[in-house]
Amino acid sequence: MMIRNTTIRNSVTSSSSYGPALPELHRRLRWVALVGIAAFALLVGRLWQLQVMRGDSYYERTVSNVVKERYLPSVRGQILDRKGAPLAANRPAFNIYMTPKQVTPEILAELTRMLGLGGDEVQQIDERLAVGKKRDAKTAILVLEDQGRDRAALVEQARAKLPGVDVRHEPYRYYPQGELAASLIGYMTQMTAEEADKNGMQNYDPSELVGRYGLESAWENYLRGKKGIERYAVDARGQRLDDKTAASLIQGERVIDPVPGANLVLTLDADLQRLAEKAVSHISAAAVVVVETKTGKIRAVVSKPSFDPNTMTGHLTKAEYTLLMSDPRKPFIDKALRATYPPGSIFKFATAFAALEDGQGAEDENIFCNGEYVLSGTHFNCHGTHGKINLLAAIQHSCDTYFWTLAERVGLDRIGDVARDYGLGAPTNLGLNGDSAGRIPTKSWYEANGRYKVGYATNAAIGQGDVEVTVLQMAMAYAAIANNGTLYVPQVVERVESNDGHVIVSYDSKVAHQVKTPLDAVESWKKGMYLVTNQLGGTAFEHGHIENLTVLGKTGTAEVKKHHREDDKDMDRWNPNAAHAWFAGFAPADDPEIAIVVLAEHGGAGGQVAWPIAKQILEGYFTKIHASSPPPRDMPAVKRLPKEPVIKGDAGQ
Amino acid sequence: MKGIGLELPRATVGMSRWRRFRAAVDWPLIATMLALCAIGLLNLYSATRGVRHHAKFDTQVQWMIVGAIGFVVVTVVDYRAIVRLAWLGLGVAILALIVARLTGRPASGDTHGVTYRWLNIGGMGIQPSELVKLMTILVLARVFAHGEQTHYTPRMLALRLVAVVVPMMLIAMQPDLGTAVLLFLIVLTVGFLAMPSVWPMVYMTTAALLAVPILWEKLHDYQKDRILGFIDCNSVPGRILDHDLLNNCWHTQQSIYAVGSGKVWGKGFLEGTQNMFNFVPEHWTDFPYSVWGEEWGFVGSVFLLAIFAFLLVWILNVAMSARDRIGAVICIGVAAMTFWHVAVNVAMVLGLAPVVGVTLPFISYGGSSLVTFFLAMGLVANVSLRKHGY
Repeated sequence: MMIRNTTIRNSVTSSSSYGPALPELHRRLRWVALVGIAAFALLVGRLWQLQVMRGDSYYERTVSNVVKERYLPSVRGQILDRKGAPLAANRPAFNIYMTPKQVTPEILAELTRMLGLGGDEVQQIDERLAVGKKRDAKTAILVLEDQGRDRAALVEQARAKLPGVDVRHEPYRYYPQGELAASLIGYMTQMTAEEADKNGMQNYDPSELVGRYGLESAWENYLRGKKGIERYAVDARGQRLDDKTAASLIQGERVIDPVPGANLVLTLDADLQRLAEKAVSHISAAAVVVVETKTGKIRAVVSKPSFDPNTMTGHLTKAEYTLLMSDPRKPFIDKALRATYPPGSIFKFATAFAALEDGQGAEDENIFCNGEYVLSGTHFNCHGTHGKINLLAAIQHSCDTYFWTLAERVGLDRIGDVARDYGLGAPTNLGLNGDSAGRIPTKSWYEANGRYKVGYATNAAIGQGDVEVTVLQMAMAYAAIANNGTLYVPQVVERVESNDGHVIVSYDSKVAHQVKTPLDAVESWKKGMYLVTNQLGGTAFEHGHIENLTVLGKTGTAEVKKHHREDDKDMDRWNPNAAHAWFAGFAPADDPEIAIVVLAEHGGAGGQVAWPIAKQILEGYFTKIHASSPPPRDMPAVKRLPKEPVIKGDAGQ
Repeated sequence: MKGIGLELPRATVGMSRWRRFRAAVDWPLIATMLALCAIGLLNLYSATRGVRHHAKFDTQVQWMIVGAIGFVVVTVVDYRAIVRLAWLGLGVAILALIVARLTGRPASGDTHGVTYRWLNIGGMGIQPSELVKLMTILVLARVFAHGEQTHYTPRMLALRLVAVVVPMMLIAMQPDLGTAVLLFLIVLTVGFLAMPSVWPMVYMTTAALLAVPILWEKLHDYQKDRILGFIDCNSVPGRILDHDLLNNCWHTQQSIYAVGSGKVWGKGFLEGTQNMFNFVPEHWTDFPYSVWGEEWGFVGSVFLLAIFAFLLVWILNVAMSARDRIGAVICIGVAAMTFWHVAVNVAMVLGLAPVVGVTLPFISYGGSSLVTFFLAMGLVANVSLRKHGY
């Protein structure tokens, strides 16, 4: 075939009439068709898969490529004291944000150089960028919070050089009173990566601060408010597009305004709180609780050592954190609400009430104390030789022998019943910082944990052995004694107000229950308390008393197990082998208004250490604070009070 | 000057030369081409709308005019005369590649360092590799002009092969792997369809496949990453992920999102968000099909493919009715070039092929590609015009 077509020139003469010019093509046409059809079928099939089968999901992807959401921070609610003084508030701050997708190592290096960032800060930025990248690389994430004006200005000036770095002016948590009531108020920190994952569905942002302790944590839901959402559009580089373009791309609301958090108005009195904290300033570890006897409202609560919530909230360096955590005094275990201690002699009311209720004792019954008490071969030493004394004198001198004798009569479980009746051994239901139950041992408890011995009742009778209470429990118990038998649930939040001052919830004081103790038994105990603080020989009296104010009180000196080595002693006068010093009481005597419990952890003797603190607080309260707040109308006359000595009715003025 | 210039037969009874010319001209081919150009401009308008790229539309229109003039010239001048200059043309093209190599400058917007794809003539950037494709097709037409198997001695084939492989190597060294592979595919396709015996082509293909591991070692890191990244996105090491926008996986991913999000009917003209906000890099040059797919959906995408399919069938039709081997081989060459451009480009956009710099004929922005395809279609029109002894 085609024999003549041997050269190009000759090809001019060829013609289709001689058959196809290229017979090979005709022969192989089916292969051409096969390959061609296969190729186009493959492409059309792929188009079908992408556009028809998966089209909807890809459409969503392209929308989320362009439409981004940004949270508009809500202003966190304030925490105010009962008179409206802010304990936790907000101030404007400069926060630096970064968009992970836009920030290159060069930009980071430039920022580090420009601001002189420290190693900790660089590490923090890296960590947060990693978190942000995981969530959405095109959404800006907070990397450095609360930066100074200088740094903010530097970043603003260098905007062009730092794409993806942004300074925003946002409210920042601030504690205007510093350490005041820190353990009650708490603090905030940024969420960890795990928490962000966990809370991802709950409207949290990984750069967000969250309440970590105290009220900030427990009342988070009220304080937080609701974040607003701004939806906006970005291009492929994460650059924001103008509003007109955004409006055409985004259906529905583009901005949902944030709802500010609610304010907490506390029962706490900032002035009293300050006074109480000043009173324990010389003690290395201590707790104070002041409650209203007729409502159970907490007026002051101190836990020492404390911390500065301003430092804790986002400014704590790793070194500071380590130091705080290694403090043997444990600043993050609330000494008033969570830590439990043996109460020592302030617990003796339970023993006394058990005996008086059962008719196993009487106010004027004399018992002989020779300084030693023997029970089935075991010798217990009283801290003095008190001779022949009655119940009131036993309270006055805190004679152990007397109460050991009563305990022998009523037994461990009766003492425990009374103690539990006064709220000991169970959480107070304040619901803050642990709110421990403590422990009121019973026979069955001992049997479950080994063996019961008669001596355990002897120990428990004077608040030793396995009795453990919190300071708040004791304050509520003494408030119940003061008001003749109503045990309150402690209360620290008076009401919740909206940002513009409308009351959202107002809390009434809540009664736990009426204690079973007969009134005359309570009166007997009160008479004994009077002697403690007002008569020569009282454990408190010799360490001072208050002019023009009659305080009823009881001191306690709780021995601790001496398992600490000598070289553990340190921390300015904090000796872990020393006894806990207690004082519990209330004033004024004729119509008790406030109850107070003071604990000096490993502070020594109650009368010597705890009472002067309580004295200082009560003195200050009744001379300064009480005088400035509306005085109680027409102080009721004293009715059931000890016949002698006479208690003056001029308290509080 | 016989063989060059207008050699239209004299007017015969009742018919003017012009009318005969008009009747013989391949109007369907021209119409298809114009349809593709219109779609290309429409798509480019959408792809380049915005401050940064708006000049590209005007440039493309200018190149289209240049291309159309080239088309007319190539149609009118007898292809047998053109083919006579094939070897000279290939020589010039190779020279252009070498000059581009020597005067290499960084390609704009390319961060892979200096590349040598562009030849600067009077301020215009021209890609000599496009010229090489055309010239190779013409050379193949000469090589396969003979119908007897005995003509194709190993020595004869080896010599011709060297002439084709040299520019291929130069292009691969630019580095422009996509074009080099494409050139290889054109040669292979034409060989398979035009050689009297397919066995030499089978041997050559086998040899080429065996050479793949060796070539792999010669690849640049970014090229390896692109291919590896296509196979498995997670295999791409950090060096590319540092520059997110160059991340090839991202490129392919966004392109798939763009096409897929068009669903059945598309988002509508000028409504493609992937396109508008630059989620698919280089969407006006190598990824215009993603813009088209996003805005016109499955219906539009298939429609565009159908036009290309029609074009290919038409070119093959011209090849089968060509008056001589040379004309037929030219058409096969152009069809192969068009087919592989479309197949590779669309497969790349749809995530079925690695990202390589292969344009979509008449749709992609870029003068070199556009003019090349105009000239290639001119050759087909030329063959078509002269199929009946015209």
